Amino acid sequence: MNPEERQSLPEQFPRRLHDLEQRFGALQEKLDPSPTTDAISVLHGMVHELWRSLRRGGSPLEERGITLDDIAELYRYAPKMEGPALNSPLPPGTTAPEFALPDASGRLVHLSDYRGTPLVVAFYPLDWSPGCSQQLELYQNEIDEFDRRDAKLVGISVDSVYSHGAWAAVRGISFPLLADFNPKGDVARRYGVYRDADGFSERALYVIDADGVIRYSHVSPELHHVPDIYQLFRALDDLTTEHRQAAA
Amino acid sequence: MAWIGSSYSPFGRRAAPPTIPVVVYGTRWCGMSQMVRRHLDRLGVPYEYVDLEMEPDAARRLAWMTGGSVSHPTVYVGGELLVEPSLRELDWALRRSGLR
Repeated sequence: MNPEERQSLPEQFPRRLHDLEQRFGALQEKLDPSPTTDAISVLHGMVHELWRSLRRGGSPLEERGITLDDIAELYRYAPKMEGPALNSPLPPGTTAPEFALPDASGRLVHLSDYRGTPLVVAFYPLDWSPGCSQQLELYQNEIDEFDRRDAKLVGISVDSVYSHGAWAAVRGISFPLLADFNPKGDVARRYGVYRDADGFSERALYVIDADGVIRYSHVSPELHHVPDIYQLFRALDDLTTEHRQAAA
Repeated sequence: MAWIGSSYSPFGRRAAPPTIPVVVYGTRWCGMSQMVRRHLDRLGVPYEYVDLEMEPDAARRLAWMTGGSVSHPTVYVGGELLVEPSLRELDWALRRSGLR
């Protein structure tokens, strides 16, 4: 091997792996279904998982204390939250019902505080649960995108201010989480998205314009379905465009 | 699978793929799938998105590659298959492939 070839090894490595993966993938069509075929498939999956566990750092058997990351990942092993939607959202054009709910610090937050700016209200079933953990982290990662559209964001669930505080700290959520705790689910009811049988809300989104009018509403058809973020951005873009045209 | 059968040159020798292929297998309603796609969007990493509900053949082939499970998202980065990766794990794989 000449020095030039040796230098190019790091670049070649993933390419070789890629070629091997292609060959492995293509072999599926040539194998009949059988326990042996299943075993080969399982072994291939094991190789990838072993590779990943080594790359995570440290031995998988290494003993360590529980970290915040472990707590943040608890939702992956939590009981599933599933079920079809039971409610329909208030339609666009409706004046958004006023509310006053405490955030994690106990400060009372009113809908009218957001008058003059577009607001996304995300009703979600419960802190710590699988779909909600992913949905709110997704929004946290997109804070710049909401800012770019001059939109604010709040989350609402029936959890207490203390649960909201702990959950937001673990997940790094910086936008307000409001406690629809007492009377339980009162605001979710007024927005038509409370699930009486479950004691929590649908997974629902409202986009409310600067005048307090609902411009977009969505209830996930299944509880564990996180609304399409690209669709939410489109709804906000429509509102922003309209707002800027009216101002011009 | 989307990346299969595309790396042979007309001269009968293996040709390098033009770029490191990245494929996201997911669903529109999966929060983590959306997070992964948006992460790649932000990084400007080109990727192919395969909707597992729209493409049952892809789901079947994914099961073959992962030992029977069809989990979303599963991300293919230059030869590595990551089943439900964290964004940190995805970043590591992108670095190994020279995409970050």
